[in-house]
Amino acid sequence: MSSKEDILKRYRANVKEQFDMPDLSDIAGVTYPDPLLQFINMTKSVGGNAIEVAKGRDINEIIRELYPEAKEIASNLSEVTIATRNPDNVSQASDLNGTDVGIIRGEFGVAENACIWIPQTMKEKAVMFISENLVILLPKSQIVNNMHEAYRRIEFNNYGYGTFISGPSKTADIAQVLVMGAQAARSATVLLLDDSDL
Amino acid sequence: MSTQHSKAAKAFLKNQTYAHWHDATFWAVRTKRDNMAYGLDEWEQLREKASQIKRHTITHLDKYLDQFATAAERNGCEVHWAKDAKEFNEIVFGILKNHNVKKMVKSKSMLTEECGMNPYLEAKGIEVVETDLGERIIQLKGQAPSHIVMPAIHLSHDDVGELFEEKGISNEKGNHDPTYLTYRARLSLRNEFLTADAGMTGANFGIAETGDIVVCTNEGNADMSTSCPKLHIAAIGLEKIIPNYDCLAVFQRMLCRAGTGQPTTTYTSHFRKARPTADHMHIILVDNGRSEWIGNPQHWEVLKCIRCGSCMNTCPVYRRSGGYSYSYFIPGPIGINLGMLRNPQQHSGNVSACTLCLSCQTVCPVKLNLGDQIYQWRQQLDDFGTANPQKKLMCKGMSMVYGSPGIYNLGTSLAHWANYIPSPLMNCSLNPWAEGHKMMEFPKKPFHKMIKDYE
Amino acid sequence: MKNKERDMKIGLFIPCYVDAVYPEVGLATWKLLKHLGLDVTYPEKQTCCGQPMANAGFEKQAIPLAGKFEEKFKGYDYVVSPSVSCTAFIRLNYPRLLNHECETAKRCMDVVEFLHDVVKVDRRLGTFPHKVSLHNSCHGVRELGLSSPSEQHVEKFNKIKDLLQLVDGIDVVEPERADECCGFGGMFSVEETAVSAQMGLDKVERHVQTGAEYITGPDCSCLMHMAGVAKKQGLKIEFMHVVEILASGL
Repeated sequence: MSSKEDILKRYRANVKEQFDMPDLSDIAGVTYPDPLLQFINMTKSVGGNAIEVAKGRDINEIIRELYPEAKEIASNLSEVTIATRNPDNVSQASDLNGTDVGIIRGEFGVAENACIWIPQTMKEKAVMFISENLVILLPKSQIVNNMHEAYRRIEFNNYGYGTFISGPSKTADIAQVLVMGAQAARSATVLLLDDSDL
Repeated sequence: MSTQHSKAAKAFLKNQTYAHWHDATFWAVRTKRDNMAYGLDEWEQLREKASQIKRHTITHLDKYLDQFATAAERNGCEVHWAKDAKEFNEIVFGILKNHNVKKMVKSKSMLTEECGMNPYLEAKGIEVVETDLGERIIQLKGQAPSHIVMPAIHLSHDDVGELFEEKGISNEKGNHDPTYLTYRARLSLRNEFLTADAGMTGANFGIAETGDIVVCTNEGNADMSTSCPKLHIAAIGLEKIIPNYDCLAVFQRMLCRAGTGQPTTTYTSHFRKARPTADHMHIILVDNGRSEWIGNPQHWEVLKCIRCGSCMNTCPVYRRSGGYSYSYFIPGPIGINLGMLRNPQQHSGNVSACTLCLSCQTVCPVKLNLGDQIYQWRQQLDDFGTANPQKKLMCKGMSMVYGSPGIYNLGTSLAHWANYIPSPLMNCSLNPWAEGHKMMEFPKKPFHKMIKDYE
Repeated sequence: MKNKERDMKIGLFIPCYVDAVYPEVGLATWKLLKHLGLDVTYPEKQTCCGQPMANAGFEKQAIPLAGKFEEKFKGYDYVVSPSVSCTAFIRLNYPRLLNHECETAKRCMDVVEFLHDVVKVDRRLGTFPHKVSLHNSCHGVRELGLSSPSEQHVEKFNKIKDLLQLVDGIDVVEPERADECCGFGGMFSVEETAVSAQMGLDKVERHVQTGAEYITGPDCSCLMHMAGVAKKQGLKIEFMHVVEILASGL
């Protein structure tokens, strides 16, 4: 008998009493009168930056303003003209090391915790984590209240990977002192875009 | 009447400065959790739903495991099943050998700790690099974790600074600033991610409906471990499988709020298959006792646990004794219970490290009856052959006295004679109460005599 | 008080350590219930509820005591006790230990919840012009529901405080970490002596920090533990059971 059969057989035999799945439709998930405002406030509280981009502004200008010292900029987004690297074209993920700013697209944001749903849309997803600074383009009209709404909405593509990112990478593992920038992005900036600029 | 825990706790408390810091630090995390709970009107509703989802899922787990494996295989993953720790380690080694792996980076997994995976692989010549900063620190120090979420909490920033100097990770002697040390660790680990042949993650959740492995981190180390190396192995305990995304929303909202007092971890990552430039994604489902525990009528609910750590943060005994006082690698209320399921003879000593205050089960996001279960373990110690003989004798004595009103009344009438026992005799080592307390005064008349003047 | 309450037959259960060490607490309970016009009887030959043995792992030894309790208190409408730990043990465990063939356990109530929920006292009680720091014993909070547990997001309430507010001149405060355990835990106090003493000292210090003259609570075992620790450390604060304060001056 395979281990799979062995495990399932034993488990089935040992269960004593069974319980029904509860109804989850009556969960009163937190909602906000202004989800965008809550999202912006939460982003700040988790150590991220949130910038509402005026209609028609060139995001490349904004990125240059935010990171004037940046030399290596990685993105596969067509609207990012200042990219010096493209995660679709590198021969291996490690080539993206040394990226000062990685720019990616988020699908929607979650007000309760500043999470942004980001399905993989590039060959090497390392760009999302290996970059020193992360910039996420997000349509500001696409903010849901909470994770119940979020999980009803997430979609995957053929890459088979997606992540919620909330703020920059962080740790408090050394004497409980909070430090921004552990193994991934040391800063995270969300550029909230007008629908007409998408 | 001492145990390994009580002796270790006594030693822990000798360093009063450190003991107070430890207690205050974890109480602060408990307070952060409280603020999260008070901030959501639906918090208690979520706890109840979480408890019910888990009770349903773990009592139908065979169905969900099958569904999960089918979905994951359909996604393109290779799914393995490990009966026990030995088989798990062998499966991991087999995969790594097939891919000529010399070095593997890994994100946090208490399951791999449970199976003793690191020493097993290292003995076979494979370098294993922990990438969660806390785990990396204790790996370099050769220590075990002292908490399931904050494994290096027992070390000061000076301890870490000196360690990094010794290991060549930091290059500024005497600079023990946590921000500086974290940056130096980042540089060191960045090199490991880029040169590793494989990446291993644990899993906070596995989604039966879709085959996703879900990993939650603040550091981003699970994502770095799986974005650079070409092989991903995910290790997941059976009980981590949950039905679908509607259920996941409940747990994702609670995990970090309960465990660290944050609304979310920075990264909540969903893995369905290997990235196109990688070779494979393997998932190993691990039993190692879980299929037996579900059959234990008093203790099956430990399988509800989502490993958030909030029970140990609130436990007044854990906060004042530290993770190393417990004989099992997981400390605190959940550790006491898991240790007893793993090996009751070895871990019975932990069962008295509890006042039955029940804060743990009141805080638990899945309403695990941790304190009630500790009480129940105590009733079984005699059967395990681990009941303390002194305690047993004392209880027999009490039973006799309380069983006979005559003897009892005599005892209470004579009790006040104790007031006259000389202090050195009263406060000797045979009277453990006197260690921390001044003896109480026994009144001349007990209540049952006094009341006669009023009736 | 309504006639229905005046007709209630109340049996007084005085736990072993209250009987032996704090008889004045038993007396205060008796006096207070009589003062409220209740029909109270103290059945003789009481001993112990069995909690010390059960918490130590020998709950079977509590079975004969549960049987005696059932016999002794049959026929009473309520069994009232000035001890939340004993009450909780009896109410939550006796039915299981006696195979659910018992009546009295369900009707066992701690004096605070009895006065608050059944008698619904709402008139001035005793006089006690002092500042007191309230000790929320764990059994009271998390087993009997005497107050809202700080762990839970529920509407805040505190039955002990409600009753104390009926006492003339009193100033009731709560310490930081208002319902953290004092560290008694029965056998825990003699098995984990270091942790128990540390928990006791930490708790007493938090009470002292409120500036109160007295620490008060619904259970003598907590008070006994904290008093022992306080006296050993030379801390100047006094201890009184809640029922003694409620009955003060009556």
